[in-house]
Amino acid sequence: MKTAHEIRPGNVIMLDGSPWVVQKTETTRSGRNAAIVKLKLKNLLLDSGTEQTFKGEDKLDDIVLERLDCTYSYFADPMYVFMDEEYNQYDVEADNLGDAAAYIVDGMEDQCQVTFYNEKAISVELPVHIVREVIYTEPSARGDTSGKVMKPATITGGGTVTVADFVKVGDKIEIDTRTGEFKKRV
Amino acid sequence: MTTTHLTQVAKHWDIFCTVVDNYGDIGVTWRLAKQLAAEYHIAVNLWVDDLNSFSHILPSLNPVLQQQIFNGVNIFQWNNPLDIDYQAGEVIIEAFACELPKQVKYVIEQLHQQPQSLVPYWLNLEYLSAEDWVDGCHGLPSTQPSGVKKWFYFPGFNQKTGGLICEQNLFNEREQWQANPKNKMGLFNQLGLSGINIDDSVISVFSYETPALTALMAQWQTSPKPIHALIPKGRSLSSLASFFTCDVSDLMPGQQFIFGNLTLHILPMTDQTGFDRLLWSCDFNIVRGEDSFLRAQWAAKPFIWHIYPQEDDYHLVKLEAFMKIYCDNLAAEISTAWCEVNLAFNQGDQHAVVNYWSQLNSVILPLQQHAINWPNNALNDADLASRLVQFVKNS
Repeated sequence: MKTAHEIRPGNVIMLDGSPWVVQKTETTRSGRNAAIVKLKLKNLLLDSGTEQTFKGEDKLDDIVLERLDCTYSYFADPMYVFMDEEYNQYDVEADNLGDAAAYIVDGMEDQCQVTFYNEKAISVELPVHIVREVIYTEPSARGDTSGKVMKPATITGGGTVTVADFVKVGDKIEIDTRTGEFKKRV
Repeated sequence: MTTTHLTQVAKHWDIFCTVVDNYGDIGVTWRLAKQLAAEYHIAVNLWVDDLNSFSHILPSLNPVLQQQIFNGVNIFQWNNPLDIDYQAGEVIIEAFACELPKQVKYVIEQLHQQPQSLVPYWLNLEYLSAEDWVDGCHGLPSTQPSGVKKWFYFPGFNQKTGGLICEQNLFNEREQWQANPKNKMGLFNQLGLSGINIDDSVISVFSYETPALTALMAQWQTSPKPIHALIPKGRSLSSLASFFTCDVSDLMPGQQFIFGNLTLHILPMTDQTGFDRLLWSCDFNIVRGEDSFLRAQWAAKPFIWHIYPQEDDYHLVKLEAFMKIYCDNLAAEISTAWCEVNLAFNQGDQHAVVNYWSQLNSVILPLQQHAINWPNNALNDADLASRLVQFVKNS
């Protein structure tokens, strides 16, 4: 069991007797610091989708499926192709990558985990922390160095991350793939 | 050990409330329970874990009784484990994500496993927020490990949310009250507040502790117009200890203290109707949390919202989200003054709060007009209780 707060895109959870792959997680804060977690889910048996909301500390039944360490190889629309150490290739539907798709870039060396259900690659889990280059962001408006003033930045691959005001074009930044949050400049 | 009824599902609704902050959680759930009973004729059981706190806003409540009825609502003392016979009803509301008693969950799960049983519709009534994400989370299911579905119900300010608690006749009552100045003067008398003239500025204060309040009090002493600050015993008054030679805990309702042109009145606690009327009668209200925040909006008077503080200053995100919608059609000058005074108050910034209070005074007339227009805009044609009843009907 994992708490809803610990669930990540790519995890598979059992709900009401069916396996669901988590395509997207969105954590927000309700009153009195309580976390609310919204999950976008796809039913692995019926191929149907749903969205559900949980308290951050709610326990969810995550199931352990076969997983393989893989690296991203190339994109063959609409499939992302990953490869394991023995050069076997696995196709994952773009839809099943959820938010992770924003971090997939050519040449990336991050060790990903491809999850299988009934011998089919159904999802990909990225490392918790990845490093990407900022390819566009507005210059710092106020010269803030505290890290409290934030602004949007486009990273390699085209995704957008909210970063500290001091981050510049060309900087490499660490991102938490569970939340999409900027962690630090590296 | 309580007994449980697994096969019969009655038509009543159960609302469970744990009291966290004295008056906020219970304030919201008590208003909702009363409204469901009065306007929708629903038999409501309200389970509360702290009847002592509840009795501050419902003075005739006896905190030692296990069960009593007020305003058509069955009020139960909620002990853990539950020591009152529990029978499942049509709807269960866990207010503000409180954890239901194990016995109640057991009954829900047992009913869920019986093919012919009606399972209570289980709702988590969440906190009010104006943030955008609320739209996408309102009304979503939450499948529990037992397979039972719980539904998240988010109050909010637009059509995609669960609405705002507001009794059907509230705005009419308020308009009638405010149309006759004798009403407010009568209320002040009734509350034992003396020396208030009809043209004096009256400000109610129901905030958390903050140094911003001390700064405002100091500023109000030099106001050209007499100001009366009405403050109940509690967290606001604790911020003002330096104003008194005695311990603030020794102050008594009805006492008044004059500091220059400021008169500080110690306010007695009042029930919810009395509190509404107080807000309607003041020129400005400083409120906190959720319940009084909403009632201050319904009072159609300018206000400062002291939001419940959260880790990493996250409450400021919530404050900004509300300020954005409240100021949507306000002129920049008014919007800036109102937002900045709210921000300064919440950040405890003494210099800024004094500065922006002065600016607020220069735009107070259009701000008052905005406060009058706001309630109907915010309500969006349907209040929380009506949307909630419809939500359950549609399920």
